[in-house]
Amino acid sequence: MIFASLILGSPLTPLEHAARHALNWIHYNVGLPWAWSIVALTVIVRMILVPLTIKQIHSMQNLQRYAPQMKEIQKKYKGDKQKQNEELMKFYRENNINPAASCLPMLVQLPVFIALYYALRTFAKDPPPGNPSFLHFIANIADPTTAHWGGFLLLVVYVGSQMASTLFMATTADKLQRRLFMLMPLIFVFVIAHFPAGLVLYWVTTNLWTVGQGLITRRLVPKTPPPELFKRSSRTPPKDDGGSSGNGATPGPAKPAPQAGPRKVRRKKKAGRR
Amino acid sequence: MYRVGVALVWLWRVTFGALFPTTCKYHPSCSQYAIDAVRERGLLRGSLLAGWRLLRCNPWSRGGFDPVTK
Repeated sequence: MIFASLILGSPLTPLEHAARHALNWIHYNVGLPWAWSIVALTVIVRMILVPLTIKQIHSMQNLQRYAPQMKEIQKKYKGDKQKQNEELMKFYRENNINPAASCLPMLVQLPVFIALYYALRTFAKDPPPGNPSFLHFIANIADPTTAHWGGFLLLVVYVGSQMASTLFMATTADKLQRRLFMLMPLIFVFVIAHFPAGLVLYWVTTNLWTVGQGLITRRLVPKTPPPELFKRSSRTPPKDDGGSSGNGATPGPAKPAPQAGPRKVRRKKKAGRR
Repeated sequence: MYRVGVALVWLWRVTFGALFPTTCKYHPSCSQYAIDAVRERGLLRGSLLAGWRLLRCNPWSRGGFDPVTK
């Protein structure tokens, strides 16, 4: 980050000023303490981004319906990442899927983050009047997070919130990748520990917002039923394989859709052979 | 000169790109597209192309296969 700040230092001063003005406005006009001004600023930014993220969540849910087929494509082109991606894109196009992930919403948050970083650095050099603490456990939001015991607590909350928001926002259906993303905050926490506590506060707030948004949209939008044609094929549990001959004896006549049942088990084998 | 652009993309990749894990809706991904663009077209035009691509990479666009045209 120091390296980055050396390169990017001067062109980013307008950003810093914008962040500072926004914080000042919230602090002096709305009357919130500095730490809560950061929280408020975060909430404002995220509110502006709501249309973007809602669209993203919708298309993610849509995408998850097709997870089995996509996994099949991934398996098919396991060795060739490029071909795999191209085939996935083709699959999207054929099925009229709008992939959930897109770079823009993520990128919009970056300037805010950088601006806050610089604004908080100036805070540390030249502390403004007013209480710089947060909820009695962070002594000063401009200090490095680890400067005070409360910072460690904030870091724990950060890791938790980051993992939770990954759960909601990770747009990949790939389990391994998901798990990797879940582990990311555990590595990044060491970098983030040196950032000003206010910045971590921003991060925690934006993560919690993501989680809240995910929870609300999940509740409001009824889960769309998975497309019927292929679903059964790749989700068939392995026990079905062995039990296919003695099917009559199995206590599982409760299978809801007998029409698609056993043939699809064969399909799975075919897919493996391909 | 284009190396500056490539270095910046890598800086992004190891910092924020890794922090906010999303996968791009395009192929090649936006960051790879940016690298290709500055390689093919030079820093200035490549950056403009990459910027335009980033704007296109929004939730309303369709995504898909979209390499830098030679």
